[in-house]
Amino acid sequence: MTMSRSRVLKALPYAVVLLVAAFLYFTASNIEFQQRAGTLGPDFWPKAIVALLLVTCAFEVGRALFAKDTIGEVSGVLEEIVEESAEQHAVVAAEVAVEHHPVLLALGIAATLAYVALVTRLGFFLSTALYLAGFLAIGGYRRWGVIAAVSGLGALLLMFIFMKVVYVSLPIGEAPFSAVTLLLMQLMGIR
Amino acid sequence: METILANLAVGFSHVFQPLNFAVLVIGVVLGLLVAVLPGLTLVMGVVLALPFTYNMSVIPAIILLTAMYISGTYAGAWTSILFRVPGEPIDVPLLWDGYPMARKGQAAQALGWTLIAAFFGGMVAAITMVLLSQPIAKIALTFSTPEYFAVILFGLASVVSLGGSSLAAALVSLFAGLLIASVGVDDTYGAHRFTFGVPILTDGIDYLIVMVGAYGLGEVFMRLEQGFKSPQLEAVGKIRTRLPTLREMLALKTTFARGSLTGILIGTVPGAGATVASFLSYGIEGQYGKRKRLMGTGIPEGIVAPQCAATASVGGAIIPLVTMGIPGSGATAIILGAFLLHGLQPGPQVFQTSSHIIYAMFASVFVGIVVMCAIGYFATKPMVKVLDLPEVIISAYVVMCCLLGAFAARNNLTDLWLMVIFGIIGYLLERFRFPITPMVLGVILGPLAETNFMTTMISYGNDWTIFFTRPVSGILMVVALLTLVYPLIRHSLHKRASVA
Repeated sequence: MTMSRSRVLKALPYAVVLLVAAFLYFTASNIEFQQRAGTLGPDFWPKAIVALLLVTCAFEVGRALFAKDTIGEVSGVLEEIVEESAEQHAVVAAEVAVEHHPVLLALGIAATLAYVALVTRLGFFLSTALYLAGFLAIGGYRRWGVIAAVSGLGALLLMFIFMKVVYVSLPIGEAPFSAVTLLLMQLMGIR
Repeated sequence: METILANLAVGFSHVFQPLNFAVLVIGVVLGLLVAVLPGLTLVMGVVLALPFTYNMSVIPAIILLTAMYISGTYAGAWTSILFRVPGEPIDVPLLWDGYPMARKGQAAQALGWTLIAAFFGGMVAAITMVLLSQPIAKIALTFSTPEYFAVILFGLASVVSLGGSSLAAALVSLFAGLLIASVGVDDTYGAHRFTFGVPILTDGIDYLIVMVGAYGLGEVFMRLEQGFKSPQLEAVGKIRTRLPTLREMLALKTTFARGSLTGILIGTVPGAGATVASFLSYGIEGQYGKRKRLMGTGIPEGIVAPQCAATASVGGAIIPLVTMGIPGSGATAIILGAFLLHGLQPGPQVFQTSSHIIYAMFASVFVGIVVMCAIGYFATKPMVKVLDLPEVIISAYVVMCCLLGAFAARNNLTDLWLMVIFGIIGYLLERFRFPITPMVLGVILGPLAETNFMTTMISYGNDWTIFFTRPVSGILMVVALLTLVYPLIRHSLHKRASVA
């Protein structure tokens, strides 16, 4: 019997979690501590949780791959009621086709990671202005004047709110970029 | 009763202090804006506001978040009714009758019914919250660790059982949350758990990082992957609100009562927030309402029932939060976070040690509803104008607020990496239809559950039957187990019925 692709796809997320859980169980079994007589160790709780996770995932993988009926999975009680109501009134609801743009997502995540990596070097203002501009461009916004204003002024505004009002010590950056942050701080009266 | 009223008066005195009142108005406006904007959810809005409260004292911080929470259940109705665009899932049932009313030229009446329903539901729930909280807290004071563990277990079981789109997915999400909570150095033995030699993990993973990443950044990644495609808005002429007459309201008194009661009850159940309350109340009206056959054709009952319930769920959700320290929804989980940030653990003791803070919160619910309705009556049009802002710009700032929120929590840049990781995890959970709320509640309640479990085991010589032999914990444990098993029974009954 060939396993249908939809069954495999359904089982896949649980199979991945199952593997991770197996690794975590192994890790939890090797937690180092001095056992005290008559008490449960610090490994008991995580091992119990991972064991429950393993059982859930194994059951779900088995069900997705081998269950005879495909009537649907067990959902939350109230969720079922919500879904039933939604289905009854689907005609009135706005119809918005969902598109998928994995490249945009990858670029967005990469830009966010780059921001985190560069913020200590460039300082808050420069990295934030660059990130905001980059994010808007990735998101498909093409009015360059607005992008410049939104990113530049937005970064300044956030810097002012968080450094002057909320008193958060934001990264200044390394030389020569720190000069820009220090100048702006001076102009905004931030010490 | 007199004590409650006296405490409430103290609460009102705090709320009406100029700074606190200004914070409340800001919170209401932000909540309304968050509810109007598609792509920004109520929970996300409250998460994003959290970093701004770090340097506030506890009362204005709680007032800000509570005000946002209340108004976030209301303003989405405007866009549902006027443009057929629900700001978030709470507002979906509102468009089933609200939009047809608007199409019939009764948009002003529909907006009026929404406002009255939000006011009525919110106020009834607020009164219930004030009346019930202190007595419940008194009962909770008698609880020992087995009872606390049973209460937490019941809370987690209902999160999984009631709200999830798939029981297995909700369980996986919950277990993931409980495991995240166990990362770090164990308090009793000093043992490293799941730290993998990474220094930042020895301090554990802050639940704020998880919340901000999963709810905030994860949602933005999801919208980005969908290409920020907001639905096109239809042109609407003059936007105004026409309140119903007293006679019209009295004709719908049963609908108001049913909606409010549903909202309060659903609000108190962990995992079932304003969205479920709204849908369920609409469903109940469709089953038992006088004009049930006309539901969906544009009648006020279809607006009053879900809106009453959605706003009433706020008061309901606050009850378990303040009396037992158990958040009933994503938004109350964040408010719990704000309490903890300020060194205050909500629970029965808080009524004895810091009752002024709790009653200030209660008072802010009452005042917040009034301010929300005033803004709703006079300023719907300018508030709706924010829909003209491109979603990508709003999302860019949401990401920045997430990053700043994660950084400001501990002034630690490494937390940013963790937050982005949880943003990706949040995206993956949503993409593969795993609910996020069980994970977040697992992270928050995990340490409490473990502490109460381990303390019970130490106190009662590792005898796990103690959870079942003490009356209160026994009942709660059985209810928790039944809560988990009930969806399975319901599912198999459905299956049999469909086979037959």
